[in-house]
This record gives sequence, C-alpha cells and structure tokens, in this order.
Amino acid sequence: MKDLCPNHGWTLLWITCLTCLGALPFLANDYLVGVGLTLLMWLALTQSWCVLSKMAGYVSLGHVVFFGLGAYLVVVTWQQIPLVLAVLGAGVLSALVAALVGLPVLRVRGPYFVILTFGLAELVKYTLTWIESASGMASRILFGAPDLRVIYFSMFALALAAVALLTWVGNSRFGHGLRSLRENEEAAETLGVPVVRYKLMAFVLGAAIPGMVGAIMALRSTYFVVGQVFDPMISVTVIAMAILGGGDNARGPLLGVIFLTLLSELLWANAPLLYMVILGAILIVFVLLVPNGLIGLLEGRRAAASASAGKPP
Amino acid sequence: MTVLETLLSGQLLFAALVTGSLYALIALGLNLVYGTMRMLNVAHGDLVMLGAYGAFAAFTLLGISPLLAAPAIAAVGGLLGYGLYRGIFRKILAGGSSTTAVRLESNSLLLFFGLSIILQNATALAFTPNNRAYNYLDTVYRVGDVAMTGNRLATLLIAGTLCIGMALFLARSVLGLAMRAVIERREAAHIVGVNVDRVQWLSFVLGFGSAALAGVLVSMLGQFSPFSGFPFTIAGFIVIILGGLGNVMAGLLAAVLLGLIETYGVALTSANMRSVLLYGAFVAALLLFPNGLFARRAAAR
Amino acid sequence: MKFPKTSRRKVVGGITAAMLALASGTVTAQADKPLRIGFSMARTGMLANATPSQLNTYELWREQTNARGGMNVGGTKRKVEFVIFDDQSKPDQAVRIYEKLITDDKVDLLLAPWGTPFHLAIAPVLEKFKFPVVGNTAASVALRTVKPGYIWFPTSAIPDRIGVELTAMLKSQNVKSVAVLSNVLPFTKEIKNFLEPELKKAGITVKVTAEYPPDISDMTSTLTQVKQANVDAVLALAYPGDSVLYAKQAKELGLNNPLHFVAIGPTDAFFAKAVGATSAEGVVSIAHWSPRAEWKGSQAFYDAYVKKFGEDPDYLNSALAWMSLEILETTVAKTGLDKEKMRAMISSTTFDTINGKVKFDGVQNSITPTAFVQTQKGKLQIVWPASLASSKFEAKKGW
Repeated sequence: MKDLCPNHGWTLLWITCLTCLGALPFLANDYLVGVGLTLLMWLALTQSWCVLSKMAGYVSLGHVVFFGLGAYLVVVTWQQIPLVLAVLGAGVLSALVAALVGLPVLRVRGPYFVILTFGLAELVKYTLTWIESASGMASRILFGAPDLRVIYFSMFALALAAVALLTWVGNSRFGHGLRSLRENEEAAETLGVPVVRYKLMAFVLGAAIPGMVGAIMALRSTYFVVGQVFDPMISVTVIAMAILGGGDNARGPLLGVIFLTLLSELLWANAPLLYMVILGAILIVFVLLVPNGLIGLLEGRRAAASASAGKPP
Repeated sequence: MTVLETLLSGQLLFAALVTGSLYALIALGLNLVYGTMRMLNVAHGDLVMLGAYGAFAAFTLLGISPLLAAPAIAAVGGLLGYGLYRGIFRKILAGGSSTTAVRLESNSLLLFFGLSIILQNATALAFTPNNRAYNYLDTVYRVGDVAMTGNRLATLLIAGTLCIGMALFLARSVLGLAMRAVIERREAAHIVGVNVDRVQWLSFVLGFGSAALAGVLVSMLGQFSPFSGFPFTIAGFIVIILGGLGNVMAGLLAAVLLGLIETYGVALTSANMRSVLLYGAFVAALLLFPNGLFARRAAAR
Repeated sequence: MKFPKTSRRKVVGGITAAMLALASGTVTAQADKPLRIGFSMARTGMLANATPSQLNTYELWREQTNARGGMNVGGTKRKVEFVIFDDQSKPDQAVRIYEKLITDDKVDLLLAPWGTPFHLAIAPVLEKFKFPVVGNTAASVALRTVKPGYIWFPTSAIPDRIGVELTAMLKSQNVKSVAVLSNVLPFTKEIKNFLEPELKKAGITVKVTAEYPPDISDMTSTLTQVKQANVDAVLALAYPGDSVLYAKQAKELGLNNPLHFVAIGPTDAFFAKAVGATSAEGVVSIAHWSPRAEWKGSQAFYDAYVKKFGEDPDYLNSALAWMSLEILETTVAKTGLDKEKMRAMISSTTFDTINGKVKFDGVQNSITPTAFVQTQKGKLQIVWPASLASSKFEAKKGW
C-alpha cells in the first residue's frame, strides 16, 4: 500500500473512486453506468499496459491485440461454452500469445519496438479478417448477452485486478528490476538483473487482463466485426491516458484515465469534429507544457506548498 | 494467370513501381524528419492528405492543374515544416537532454498524434468528411502489353525523379553529406562544424514539403477524405523501419520492395491477403533484423 | 468576508433561478415545446464520407417540416429539433449514444443511424427500452433475426433477393460468364454469398471470383485477371470507397465488357464527379427509387434536394431516409408519441411514400421489389424489374 498512498490525499482518492464506481449501477441511469463502464475499461487497459511499457520502457503500440483476441474468442465460442470459461480463456489465450511471441519481439528496442507492436496487432487483425471472410462470415451478431450491470461488475473486478497488479509490480523487486532496465538495459544486465526473463514476464503479465477486458466488452455491443475490435485507436488512447497521467506507478494512469474519459464525455456530447480538434490541442499542450503528466503537476504543487509552508500567511 | 506469367507481367510491374515510388516519397520525408528529430511523426500521412486537398481545391475551385499547383503546395508544406520547427521543435531539441528516451518516445507519439487529430478534423470541418476525387490526366497510354493511365505514369515519374534526386543530393553534395552527418550523430556533426540548425530546418522543410507533394500525386489517383492519411503514415513507418530509421537510401529501397511485395503478393494470392502479406513480411523482417534490413550495427538482445 | 443573510439568500436564489432557467430552456407553453428527435451519425472515422446523403435528407425534412409549422403530433404541430451525436463510425459507440438519447436526453423520437452494422447494434437497445424506430439504410439477411417489434427496414436491397434478381437480370441479357469481385465488408460479402450459388443454378459460369479488403489501394492484380477472363459481365460488389478506384482502374486496363455492375457508389452524385461522366455512363447499381409521376412526392423531393444541396440525392440512401421519415410522420400524426400505439401502427399499416407503397411483414418491406438502376445519359434509370423499369438496359460502351 506504500506506493498507493503515501499520504491521506491519495488514500481518500482511491476510496472515493472505489465507492463511487461501486455504487454507480445502483444509483444512476443506463447512460451513466455506461460511462462508468468505459472508465473502468480504460483503467484496466491502461494499468495493464503500464506493466511493460511504463515500467520497462518498452512502449507498445499494439496493446489492442490482446483486447481483440479476447473479444474474438468470446464471439467464436458464443453459446458453445459457458461465458465465464470464455472470458477466463481469453485471458489465458492472450497470455499464451504474449509468451509465444515475447522472446523475439522483445529483442527489438525503442521506436522499432513501437512500430513492431503496431505491426503485430495489425497482422493479427488482418489474419483474422481473412479467416472470417474465408469462412463466409461477414459479421456476427450476439443475442442474449448478459445485462449491463453484470458486465459492469465484471469490468470493475478486472480494473481492480489491473490496479493491484501494477501496484504489486511497482513495489516488488521485479518492478525495480524493470525500472533499472528502462534506464539502461546493458548496465542492468551487467548488474545481474535477468533482463530477458523480466521483460518477458512483464509482457505476459500485462497481456492477460486486456484479453479479458476485450472478452467482456464484446458482450456490450451485440454486433461484432474484426476491424472494430482491433481498432488501433484503442492502443493510442491507452498511451495517451498513461502519458497524460504521468508518474511511475498506479496513481498516474488513474488520473489520466479519469481526466480523459470525463473530458471525452463532456466534449463529444457537443460538437463532434470540434471535440476532436480540442482533444488534439489538449494533447499537444500537455506534452509541451506538462511533460510529467498530471502526477507531475500535482507533485510539483505539493513540493511548492511544502517549500512555502514555513512562511507566514 | 500462371505464376510465371504473373511474375513477368509488365502491367503488374508498372503497378508495383507506382505504389513503390509513392511509398518512397513518403518514406523520404518521414526519414528526414525522424532522422533529425528522433521523433515518430504519426501526422505525416495527414500532411499527405492536406497536400491532396490542396491540389483538389486548386483544381476544382481555381482550375489549376495539380501538376502546376504541385510546387506551390509543396512550398506551403515546407513552410509549415519550417514554422513548426522554429516554433516548437527547436526548443524541444535544445533543452530535451535531461528527458529520458522513453518519455520522449511516447511524448512525441502523443504530440504528433494530437497534431494528426487536429489536421484530420479541422479538414473535415472545412471540407466536410465526404470523399473527394477528380478526373485528371486520365488518358490511357499503351506500351505493348502495359496500360498506363496518365496520372499514374506521372506519379511514377515525378516521385521517382524526386527520390533519385534526393538520394544523389544526400550522397554527393556537401549539404547532403551534412544532413546525413546530423542524422547519424548530431553532436559529432556539430563539433566538426556543421550548421546543425540549418540542416535541421532544411530537413523539416524537405520532409513536410515532400509529404505535401506526395499528397498532390495521391489526389490524382483515387478518392481521399480527411481521414485517409493514416494508411500512408503506416506505410511510411513500415518502410522506414524496414530500411532502418534515418537511413534514407535504405528507406527508398525498402519502399520499392514493399511495392513489389504488395503487388506481386496480391497477384499470387488474393487481394484479401494484401495486409496479411505486408504486415507479415514486416514483422518477420523486424524479428530477424531488429534494427532494420540494412542496419550495420549488431542487434540488441 | 461575511454577507448579510438576506442578500446572500438573494444571491443564491438568483443563481439557482438562473440555472433552472438555463436548464429548462425557454419557458413556454406545452404546445410550443419543440419536438426533440435524436440520432447518431458517423461524422468522423471511416464511414464519415458515406453518411452525408442521409444526414442531408434528415436536415431537408426538418427544414420543410418546420416551415409548415412543425411535425403533426397527434393533432398538435410542434417544431422539430434534432439532437445529433457522432458515433465515430463505431457501432458500439452508437449503442451508447442511443442509450444516452433515451435515458439521459429523454428525446421524444429517434431516427436511424447510417448503415447496417449500426441498425443491428442498436436493435437490442430499442427493444430494451421499447422505443420504436423506422430504420432505413440497412440491408442484411441478419435483419430477419432481429426480433420484430421495435425496428423496421424499408429497403428491398436485401442480399439474398439481390442474388436472385441480379441473376435473373443477367439471364435476361444472355450473360454466360461473369467475374465477381467483392469487398469483404458485411453487405457486399453477403451479396456474394447469395449470388454465386444463384449464378451456378442459372448456368452462368463464374470465371473469376475475388475478394478484397475495404482499404484496398490498387486493384491492378485482380483486374488484370478479369481482363484476361473475357467475361460478359463484371460484378463489382464494391462500397463507395472502392467504387471509384474500381472505375478508374477498369478504365486503365480497358475492361470493355458490356455489363458492369457496381453494388454501391454510382447512386451517389459524387461518383460521376469523381470518375467522369463517360466512365459513369452505363454502370449498373442497386436502387429501387427514381423520381416518377406515379410516386407522389418523389419529384418534389428530388427537386428540393437538388435546390438545397446542389447535387442529386443518393438514389438509395437518401430515398430510404426520406421514406423512413414519411412513415414516421404518418404514424405520429395519428398516434402521437405513444410508443406502443406507434409500434402497432407501423407494423400493420400500408404507407404511401415517395417510393410507392410500403408495408412491413415482420421487419422487412414486403412490397417494394429489389431493383437495379443504370446511368443513362447522366441520369439514373431503373432497368430491372420490368414492372418497375423506366428504361431498358443498354450495353456499356467502354470507360
């Protein structure tokens, strides 16, 4: 818990979020529950992304591949196996895929890794598209999906799991190892950090949750098309939320997710094209003026406050 | 068609070269910008899109042929690049040594992504999201077995000439040498007396200008909308990663290679396989050559 | 700083009043309250270029309706106000939007979004909240799996019917061999799935069959094969995005077959502008509407659309959108906003629209036949079926 709340402010924030989100389905209309669901989804996705990409510095632009695989598994096994099994299976499938491709993929570094992960996600997307069309399927419709609230609480559990995962990683020896290899991989290796194993572990750990998230979100929209569910924008949004949040642990992504989700909801309701322009402007402004993200802003302010605490009012 | 017929088809070769030359032009600009900035310009394809709209506006509103408008549009693109450099990037480059490489990477992704969204949606606001296209140079010339629409031939010639010209410039001229030096190692180039600032803004001007020009060519070939820039960005990235980041010559080769894979690959399998082949080749190549096909340094673990 | 109690109360009271006034909009009598009609439309993303034909039609209708004093709601006229959101070309976004429109914005009526995936995606939402919507631009056999009750589809361009009718038309033109190219998007893929067996049954040889992804940028490989095959008809099951590419490259490669069918695209004014009038001439496409004397209002709609937007309406999408509005108008005039009464009426009545009579049998339109149009001298003419034809089919004379 140390990293989660070194002071009361953070504990309060976490507890508030938990209670608000937990109580939402009982108090609000469907639309607001939908917003809450979206927020939880992004939280789960972003926190799991950070395990490899923030901690080890291997920025992945292909996080959506696990999301998509999970969704695809659910759709393909629809009404053939119990849903719970399908969702859990989605997590297992994603982790397996990560384990399979992890070793060669993680040999690639920096911007090459970024584009490689993107290419990987697209490759999977187009392969599945080709398989679907070769088997005569154009689209799939899912009837009899579970109720919104069931979906909501499943996502709630996943978001909690993701936060717990990132926090645990952040505090563990494993996490410190990842940080060290982020700063300088060769030096870390010389110091005895099992660099290859750690990278792979981070990759696999970060893959399971998005798989299950994708599986659950497939239930939300009864209409399934491969291209939709492997949307690269999902990967980009995850990166945006993590960067906007800033920081090195579970707190940053939380802020980033809340900020961007609420901003989107507020804005797209009004002028769609203008909303995107405003969003783009905000991203640019943030990167240029607030490079350490919202965490950086908050911590900077706290540092300034404590510095001037001794002065008379 | 039999496999042999396919491989020897002049028509397919023409198509592959048209595609490849376009990729080459786009990759050229992307490499120049990346080489100096070490930032992934994910808005590059949107610059192409803007160039396309520029040509469209010139043709439909003013009646100016895209080929005539091209230099002006490229110049505007170059100017935009210059403005961005002077306005934003010069400061970032100068003061960014304390930022970790990671942060710069993902930050630059976001920065250009923000730019990309703005460009796409501002264009949609200005021109509506409708597909646009126009008819120009659509006479078909036939040389033996090969049919070539005028605009596709023009694309091949213009893009091809520019790329070859640029390659020669980088290889032979002093300024070109200076550019390559800055791309390879900026501080060292500075030490040996290269005017780094000048090289950098020149790279931006050329990078953005070539993107705008590619857009003019693209506008002649088919439909485009404010959101059609993204595939060009992707293609550009695949090409420059394959060639090795910053390696302009290798990028040009990789572009032609990609055009060949795409056209012949599709002919031998099916159009549905196009992206599978492209991304498959890309992923495979990168896994085998983590620093690009033409990298000189040893791969990391 | 402490305000005296009374003025603080005044300030708070004043602010609350102002907020309430803002929240409730203008305070007017009940009958003058605008009628809020909500829908989602793809304004950004991949499909944004296809939706204007529908959005324009909606806007035209609103303008005309308000000019007449408003929409007739069970006897009272109320001005129409749209509540529009952008679904970013994502069906799951459309789901959220319709949920919002119903539960949060609490709109009075809903209109359909553009495209089959979106109609299918929102169907469960409409059923959950028992909110009837007259669909329009949706065509899929999957529509029949939707439980009838809260959404209906007036189009006759359903893939299995298209397969049957297209084959019949080809047979009537003595076509012996064809090439079939299909975009893998759902609508065109479905058509292909139904078309090829029908062609086989009719004894027409399919010499080339190919599929391509929606983002295709070069069709040379496929079209070279088609050219070599020397078929009587080329059936390009294309979407607007690739229809132009197809036309341009067919021209380059000199595909001079007498019959060229392009599934979606030629019915939009944009097509002829993009490929040139000579290329667009003679292309056959899917549509079941054209302005004609016996269909009341069709010419008026056509003229009004051209006047307002400076181009022809899309003969498929715009017509369907207008038809759905006519059906809604007729219904609401009688039943008011009672959802169950609306539903009952829409399911059972025969409506008069600019496309003739429309009656729903389950979710589908049982009257309008599946038809095809051809561009002749720059105008779209219905050439099939004979019962509806305004002109005879003419062979295409090159590009």
